[in-house]
Amino acid sequence: MKVIVIGGGWSGCSAAITAKKAGATVVLYEKTDMLLGLGNVGGIMRNNGRYTASEEMIALGAGDLIHLTDENSRHKNIDFPGHKHAWLYDVNKIEPAVEKYLKAMDIEINMITRVVDVEKEDNRIKGIYLSDGKYVEADVFIETTGSTGPMGNCLKYGNGCSMCILRCPAFGPRVSISYRAGIEDLKGERQEDVYGAISGSCKLAKDSLSDDVVKQLDATGVVVLKVPEEDVNLEKLKLKVCQQYALKEFAENIILLDTGHAKLMTSYYPLEKLRKIKGLEYAKYIDPYAGGKGNSIRYLSVAPRTDSMKVVGLDNLFCAGEKAGLFVGHTEAIITGALAGHNAIRNYLGMPLLMLPRSLAVGDIIAYANEKIHSKEGRTNRYTFAGAEYFNRMQELGLYTLDIDKIKGKVEKLNLTDIFSEKLI
Amino acid sequence: MALRVKFLRNHRSLVYRACPCHLAETGDCILCSQLGGKNFCDCSNWNGVCIYQEYASNNYKAKESRKYYYCKVVEKNKFEDNIIIFTLEASDKLVSELVQAGSYVFVRRPDTDTRFDTPISIMDTDTRNNTITIAIELKGTKTKALDVLKQGEELLVKAPFWNGILGLKNINTIKNSKCIIVARGIGQAPMIPPLKHLHANNNEVTVVLDNSPYKNSFVNEYLEKYASKVIMVNTIVRGRITDEFNNILKNLISNNDFSLVHCDAADVLNYELMKAVEEIDKNIKYSCCNNAKMCCGEGICGCCTRKNNDRKLRRLCKMQTEPKYVLEGRRIF
Repeated sequence: MKVIVIGGGWSGCSAAITAKKAGATVVLYEKTDMLLGLGNVGGIMRNNGRYTASEEMIALGAGDLIHLTDENSRHKNIDFPGHKHAWLYDVNKIEPAVEKYLKAMDIEINMITRVVDVEKEDNRIKGIYLSDGKYVEADVFIETTGSTGPMGNCLKYGNGCSMCILRCPAFGPRVSISYRAGIEDLKGERQEDVYGAISGSCKLAKDSLSDDVVKQLDATGVVVLKVPEEDVNLEKLKLKVCQQYALKEFAENIILLDTGHAKLMTSYYPLEKLRKIKGLEYAKYIDPYAGGKGNSIRYLSVAPRTDSMKVVGLDNLFCAGEKAGLFVGHTEAIITGALAGHNAIRNYLGMPLLMLPRSLAVGDIIAYANEKIHSKEGRTNRYTFAGAEYFNRMQELGLYTLDIDKIKGKVEKLNLTDIFSEKLI
Repeated sequence: MALRVKFLRNHRSLVYRACPCHLAETGDCILCSQLGGKNFCDCSNWNGVCIYQEYASNNYKAKESRKYYYCKVVEKNKFEDNIIIFTLEASDKLVSELVQAGSYVFVRRPDTDTRFDTPISIMDTDTRNNTITIAIELKGTKTKALDVLKQGEELLVKAPFWNGILGLKNINTIKNSKCIIVARGIGQAPMIPPLKHLHANNNEVTVVLDNSPYKNSFVNEYLEKYASKVIMVNTIVRGRITDEFNNILKNLISNNDFSLVHCDAADVLNYELMKAVEEIDKNIKYSCCNNAKMCCGEGICGCCTRKNNDRKLRRLCKMQTEPKYVLEGRRIF
């Protein structure tokens, strides 16, 4: 039984792992020369409710990638405005670690291979076309192409291509596979009727920052610098993808996190203004390269799906990550990916598809984000364990806990311990 | 293998040099979804440049369209009363833009108006002496008007255009292989650039030649230089491939490992040959000349548009695709 995963970001890697664990032959296609996509410039794990979600995933038997980010963390248990107990993985180490892990599991990885179209028979996808014209068939497909870019979207809904890590001009644009298969994409809004949202952080080269800043970053993982009063721009928070970081503190201060590079917690910031801040006089962007001008645009390509991650209207296409909803973050991608990968095999075998119970944070967010995307106001919100609307909900419902034993007990009681490790074929 | 049909919309990069054109201004771009009336990217025709970005950088305007050039007739030869072969002097830039297989130009006599523009394939280019060679079959008013010109006089050339071959990708990607080129009548002229290109990429080219309706061939010197073997045969009678040709084809293909068949002929032969090759070996790539009637070459006049049974509009002057997508499912009334 063969599963094709389209897109090698966090959710694609996660889907590949659970599909493999369930016993499928797994082939993954990634358009660039690196796995993890935006995960190569991310790094924040386990902050706020993500801690709970990570531990739930471990208990469910899909902790592989969480363990990898834990092992590759530069800082553990740090706090920054609005966020507690964050772990920061090293973006300069994580990608090869994940690639090695997938290869060791015997997952076939095809790099620099872009999927551009599908061949359909009734409501089934029979095969996919690669950009060089090759045609490949499989039993089940998982789309994890994300919702970021390509250039045309970044131009129409943002400030143009800012040369982000996805490198569309070099590797070609993301193509919405579900749309190619005849399913209209849903779109997120950042304000009423303004589509898309702009990625929420940049990376500065650490070597370009002052010694003091670097020292503090290395020691504590966080640096907070004051923005000159005349440059504080609260309006810009509206544009952001990451509503958990769209706080007043983030407009009045420059917040840097140490993820190997210095992660600048703002969507973009004119270089000239940035260099007025003490310690950043020589600052230089390394992601996006044109971080002084803009950042990538996201959420223009969400597939309608069920809570089991199956795309509505197609019999054998699953989706995960941003493709599956207005999610923010690696943890959120990993969870949805794991469920999509596992259910791909259940779907093939004709078994009932797994739906994670709403008594778990991971189950609730998948169902909640799905409910919300069908309402107008729901499309202006983002869904993450790390903050904003959903973290409040987690706390209200008592889903947020740091007690690992309690989480294990809960999963055990639901009879779901290690469900993602179960071999189905 | 029938599945391949779906992937036929793979347009090639050379089209891009003129992007964005007027079609972008009216939301009719055939490549970019953002410029084709949608408000999101569905970029399955990517060729290395974001046309929408180019359009924005150009202040939301189309690029300048093709220009007319006066080109001196350096040489004029007549072949069997009905074909004239012009060698024209052109600028270094223009010649270099017409080197690729599939290049073509519009020509007319300077004292006629734009209605006389007639699309003619490039037969040969000479980048040393900066000349282009074209062969024109005298058919109707437009072509006959050109016969008046003498050596030393000037011709008006609108150029460059590149979409003279369907399935161009197949020609451009093939290396160190064996290929067959089939050409009939005036089709021997557009055969030369692909022949030269395939030869340059270390391919062994067998040419199957049908001179009819002419007695002889006007491309012998090229065949001697670039073809490894030439087979003369009557290819088609009353819209059907002759048994003789079919047998030659079967023999060639069963005894050799051919990767590509290219055809320069009327669409009936282009189509029949495509089917015949497909029947013998589905893995052989196929390309043929683009025979669409054209007036402007820039997607505006609508002369080259075609709808097949799938009801999808094809602007053949611009659309680079596999022959099958054009030739199959044609409507007959």
